[in-house]
Amino acid sequence: MTTTATAMTLDSTAIGRISDQLDEPNWLRDLRTGWWERAETAPPPTGQEEEWRRTPLDALPRGGELLLDAPEMEATVPPPGVILTDLATAVREHPDLVRRFLGIADGPASHAHFWALGQAAWTGGLFCYVPRNVTVDGTLVVRTVLPRADVTYLPVTLIVAEEGSSVTLLEEVVSPDGPAGWFGGIVEVRAERGARVRYANLQQLGDGAWNIGAQRVVVGQDANVTTLNAEVGSKVTKVGMDVKMIGAGGTSKVLGLLAAGDDQQIDINTVQDLAADHTTSDLLYLSALYDRAHASFYGVTNVRHGTRQTSSYQECRNLLLSPQAGAEPIPVLEIEANDILRCGHGATAGAIDPTMLFYAQTRGLDRDAAERMIVRGFFEQVVAQIADETIRERILTALADRIGSTEDVS
Amino acid sequence: MTDELVISGLQVSIGEKKILNGLDLTVRQGEVHALMGPNGSGKTSLAYALMGHPDYLVDAGTLTWRGQNLLDGPTRLGMSPDKRARMGLFLAFQYPSAIPGVTVASFLRNIYNAVHHPKAADESGETSIKYTGIPLAKFRKLMEEKMTLLRMDPAFATRYVNEGFSGGEKKRLEMLQMAVLSPAMAILDETDSGLDIDALKNVADGINATLSPEMGVLMITHYQRMLNYVKPQFVHVLLDGRIVMSGGEELSHQLEANGYDWVREQVGLPEGVGDEASAPEPVAQH
Repeated sequence: MTTTATAMTLDSTAIGRISDQLDEPNWLRDLRTGWWERAETAPPPTGQEEEWRRTPLDALPRGGELLLDAPEMEATVPPPGVILTDLATAVREHPDLVRRFLGIADGPASHAHFWALGQAAWTGGLFCYVPRNVTVDGTLVVRTVLPRADVTYLPVTLIVAEEGSSVTLLEEVVSPDGPAGWFGGIVEVRAERGARVRYANLQQLGDGAWNIGAQRVVVGQDANVTTLNAEVGSKVTKVGMDVKMIGAGGTSKVLGLLAAGDDQQIDINTVQDLAADHTTSDLLYLSALYDRAHASFYGVTNVRHGTRQTSSYQECRNLLLSPQAGAEPIPVLEIEANDILRCGHGATAGAIDPTMLFYAQTRGLDRDAAERMIVRGFFEQVVAQIADETIRERILTALADRIGSTEDVS
Repeated sequence: MTDELVISGLQVSIGEKKILNGLDLTVRQGEVHALMGPNGSGKTSLAYALMGHPDYLVDAGTLTWRGQNLLDGPTRLGMSPDKRARMGLFLAFQYPSAIPGVTVASFLRNIYNAVHHPKAADESGETSIKYTGIPLAKFRKLMEEKMTLLRMDPAFATRYVNEGFSGGEKKRLEMLQMAVLSPAMAILDETDSGLDIDALKNVADGINATLSPEMGVLMITHYQRMLNYVKPQFVHVLLDGRIVMSGGEELSHQLEANGYDWVREQVGLPEGVGDEASAPEPVAQH
């Protein structure tokens, strides 16, 4: 796929012109129009909302040109029967399948406006479909490189794992440093009954990027989903995530790694929605914050009324590597059920223990090397849970730009 | 002869509190010295000051190692702890820190390279630079050899540094680090504390196996029992921040029999008001 210079401003006329440009069927035009209306009736956050108090949107570059042609995307060639392609191609080649899953549900409530906007105005994205009982060996890797910094790009990623299927997917997005741009990535992961999904999202946007993402993860009966969001780039990141445990016996792991420096602002809000019996959802977000970087985390665990024997945990730990760095982890537990196995949380923010630093230094490591080793060890709590070697290596390489690398023997 | 650690008139304070008050001691390579003293006498403070702990300020006196002034450095603290380590000094901690997520093998290789290939360690932050430390296979061989020497379970290598380690395991990992780094001068801070008799014997065997004729040792201990296994040539008694008595191995037995009050009487010091007070020894926090 090639990129042209065609671009437009995101306004009410844009939707029709996107459909014209992509020569879309009527059902999709109607779907876009419906979501555009939703975007207009669900106003943008005012900053009064609990999830938006820490990330003002005044400087969000709304006037940028909408990237009409999807940017360059490199993707693994999938095995037969499995679909892995950009969303526009999927609409042309597999319209009935896409229609079954695209734009059929609301995203995280905090991001209702942005979710609707993305569903209405997407010009690129990813469609990954794994049919029933198909196991995809190895790792699917999709890498998107934005051509310019100062554009608006709102892609939709849709991952559907049918009953009993299994897939591991790494999605990377990269953009150049430079003037302010708006990246609004929407992700929906659907794991049907008994499916197993490993989804990693590696964000390496340029230093002017506003990353306003919304993710919806639906975990069906006995399904098992691990998501990993690694936030490395951007100027501002505000990702809202909704993990819905809708089928009995489902399991989710919600992992996050953040390495931020300079004046980066990273703000994550999550909902772990335990809506079915015997579901398990464990969240672990780790941040290493340098310079004047700031990370906020607002995590809600909602154990629904009438559910039985659910188990959930959320933990957010922040390592402050500069006196000017800051973190604000806020866990919220909303327990409406009586019969629960476990529902807990942990939140920390602090500097490296000076005793640990001294210990490492007395072994000959200079302060920087000791610090790098300690940060790398800190991240290991999540890294050790990444079973897939390709994903682990790509993420460690991306993180090394910020935290530095220490060679690893084990 | 410059292969010696010379401590002269050393005064050290932490915050407002004076801990060491004019300490003199010389340890040459090849010698084993024991430094004994009650709690609060300043034993750990001496160990920390020797390695350049940022909380332990040297107010007066001199510290030289192999003719180099350890108090000469970029900050008021003098030479950084890592530079002291690269010059061959080693401290076995009384309370070693855990480093979560860093395996023993990874840690050992990093510290080996930091001490023996310092250039490579300095550059390791640059991902573009090829790593030039000890080859992996060669390091593995070295580590396994030292673990065998110390009779350690190979599974040790894959555990995270000191995390969830028993007291004995922590002390053995200190000995393993010493064996891998093979320092010229080792300061062992209460390496016997918290060990039962079997663990003590095991750790002492490790020390003896690691000792070489070129190595100097300053063994800091509260009790005499460690000295049954690792024989010192010199024994010193630390009271009120100074060495008040020195002798041969027999002094440790006299101490064991008579206690520190006997030393006070011998040297004419007032009753040990400070003997019970604990030195401010930072304990690893997690």
